[in-house]
Amino acid sequence: MRHLISALFGIVGALALAGIAINRGEPVNSMWLVIAAVCVYIFSYRVYASWIAAKVMALDDNRATPAERLRNGHDYEPTNKWIVFGHHFAAIAGPGPLVGPTLAAQFGYLPGTLWIIIGAVLGGCVQDFVILFCSMRRDGKSLGQMAREEIGRVGGITALVTVLLIMIILLAVVALVVVNALKGSPWGTFTIAATMPIAVFMGLYLRYLRPGRVLEISIIGFLLVLGSIFAGEWVAHSPAWAPWFTLSGVTLALCVIVYGFAASALPVWLLLAPRDYLSTFVKLGVVILLGVGILFVQPQLQMPALTRFIDGTGPVFAGDVFPFCFITIACGAISGFHALISSGTTPKMVAKESHALPVGYGSMLLESFVAIMAIVSACVLDPGVYFAVNSPAGVVGATAEAAVKTISAWGFPVTADQMAALAKSVGEETLFYRTGGAPSLALGMAHIFAKGGGGERLLAFWYHFAIMFEALFILTVIDAGTRVGRFMLQDLLGHFYKPLGRTSWMPGVIGSSAAIVLGWGYFLYQGVRDPLGGINSLWPLFGIANQLLAIIALCLSTTVLVKMHGRKYMWIPLLPMLWLGTVTFTSAYMKIFSPHPRIGFLAAAEVLERNPLQTEATKTLIFNNYLDAFVCGLFLVLVSTILVDSARQWWGILHGTRAIESTETPFVPSQLRPEEI
Amino acid sequence: MCAAIRQFGRTLLAILRELADENAYRRHLAAHGRTNSPEEYRRFQSEHFKAKYQRAKCC
Repeated sequence: MRHLISALFGIVGALALAGIAINRGEPVNSMWLVIAAVCVYIFSYRVYASWIAAKVMALDDNRATPAERLRNGHDYEPTNKWIVFGHHFAAIAGPGPLVGPTLAAQFGYLPGTLWIIIGAVLGGCVQDFVILFCSMRRDGKSLGQMAREEIGRVGGITALVTVLLIMIILLAVVALVVVNALKGSPWGTFTIAATMPIAVFMGLYLRYLRPGRVLEISIIGFLLVLGSIFAGEWVAHSPAWAPWFTLSGVTLALCVIVYGFAASALPVWLLLAPRDYLSTFVKLGVVILLGVGILFVQPQLQMPALTRFIDGTGPVFAGDVFPFCFITIACGAISGFHALISSGTTPKMVAKESHALPVGYGSMLLESFVAIMAIVSACVLDPGVYFAVNSPAGVVGATAEAAVKTISAWGFPVTADQMAALAKSVGEETLFYRTGGAPSLALGMAHIFAKGGGGERLLAFWYHFAIMFEALFILTVIDAGTRVGRFMLQDLLGHFYKPLGRTSWMPGVIGSSAAIVLGWGYFLYQGVRDPLGGINSLWPLFGIANQLLAIIALCLSTTVLVKMHGRKYMWIPLLPMLWLGTVTFTSAYMKIFSPHPRIGFLAAAEVLERNPLQTEATKTLIFNNYLDAFVCGLFLVLVSTILVDSARQWWGILHGTRAIESTETPFVPSQLRPEEI
Repeated sequence: MCAAIRQFGRTLLAILRELADENAYRRHLAAHGRTNSPEEYRRFQSEHFKAKYQRAKCC
């Protein structure tokens, strides 16, 4: 019976996927995407993931997990599987699965949808699941520690440096998304600015008034944030206040940089932690609300299955559907960053080995579903509106008239009046050139929410609610990321000068915080000043970096499976790794060497060098293109090092020239009683 | 049906408490045999946040 039900889900999923893939011309209802995704998820979970759990990992509930063996009441604590599931999902769900699919919608809804579904079930979920399993069998060790012990010292150090570099690019690109969403928007800027004093109030409340009452103050904080959205409308219409919150991209970038530094250096309890609580609850609430909204409204997709931009001439970012769709959508299909979470807190909380299946594989399926909802939200917009919002002035023209003329000529009719009316309905001056994905995603979400309740009257509120939600948790990624980057840098510098490694030594704290902030701040500033909108160069760089981290995680997974079973099951992580390797190395090569200036960094620098008018701005742009090419090349060298190191290991083990040295902890029988979890 | 809804509600609340670190605080109190107080919560925060915010947040 179980097999029959699984087969039924598989057949319905395959038919729904075939339906959306073959359909041309007629509008498709978003429910087809939802049905295809859910059926494929259920089928893959019940068949593929369960098979991996039983045959490959041989998960054994009689074996004590680190949470039980090393139980200390802090990190290591056997926890109910649904609580660990919620905790893990909240940790892996960031802005990536929302922004990436929104940007990739320029190819049409089909490439992104197929990649999100297939990439997740065969790649992303497998990576998260296997890394969680590896860490769980190794006392909850981190990805870097496991890479060092399983692959070798070179692999471990390379993984550490790669993670640090990825953090810098990640923070820059998500900061750019926020800046582009808030520039020239007094309503949005006020709302986000208001979250800072609200967070400080929450921190003080928890510290001095009602210690430990986090849920209570989070509800109060959420109500205050809702109040700030209403107040934002008043500010936007106030001749006295609006100019204070109508900021340019450069000013906003400087504000975000100062904020990142302050949040990294201030005590955590005052700003970072309360914001983190607030953003986690808002994030989960909005994801659920969006899911319910899509099910309730069942919107039609306006975007075609495929657009003309699969040829690489897209205005949102340049590059062919292969390989760029697969690096633009990372989180949602496969994300290397998840490997850091799967080898972080989660393995220390898993009470029984079998729980790794719903936590590792299942959470990633849910994340993939969030990405499907994001692509639905982007594709329910009129395509002309989508391109008007997401295209930079450098591509479509610097005036509204020029932009609508260019976009309409592409076959996506849109008028300046239509854009003006839309901007007015959401309380904005203009919606042109809002690159980065966040505003178009907010528009799509606002349309779905408004149809679900309140109608057009509440469109402005929902739009700013969605912007607040995106900016709130992106800023949390920035402040927490800067802090983590600071710790990693201090850890590294401590090898050269001991006091720098001490996290309580103020000069070290300030110096390393400033170094990390300057690192991502430079790339952010570069993105804001970029005439092509910044996203064109920074998002692919981030996608490449993130997918390279996934290659490291899949390398480690393959190494562990080779040590466990020889060549028998090594294809499980190896196949997604080979696909990702092909995609990532191709896109990185193209980003460096493509002769098209919108794609290749070197070609862009060459075009700028030929410009007879060599202003300071031009020189900076030339330098930035060379810098981006260098960073891209550096990523390739780092990951190639790990790949070669791993391949040597596999060859040696499979041909008997290398001893199998596994660091798996020995079997200890579990004493945990069911009522304890 | 009602029992299932109640169970779902309890699990949901437990997830929210975990995300809010309220469960972690309870474990901290139990592990050290102490009771809730502003001083104890401050001690918990300094220990817990030190570990929590040394880990990357996902993109």
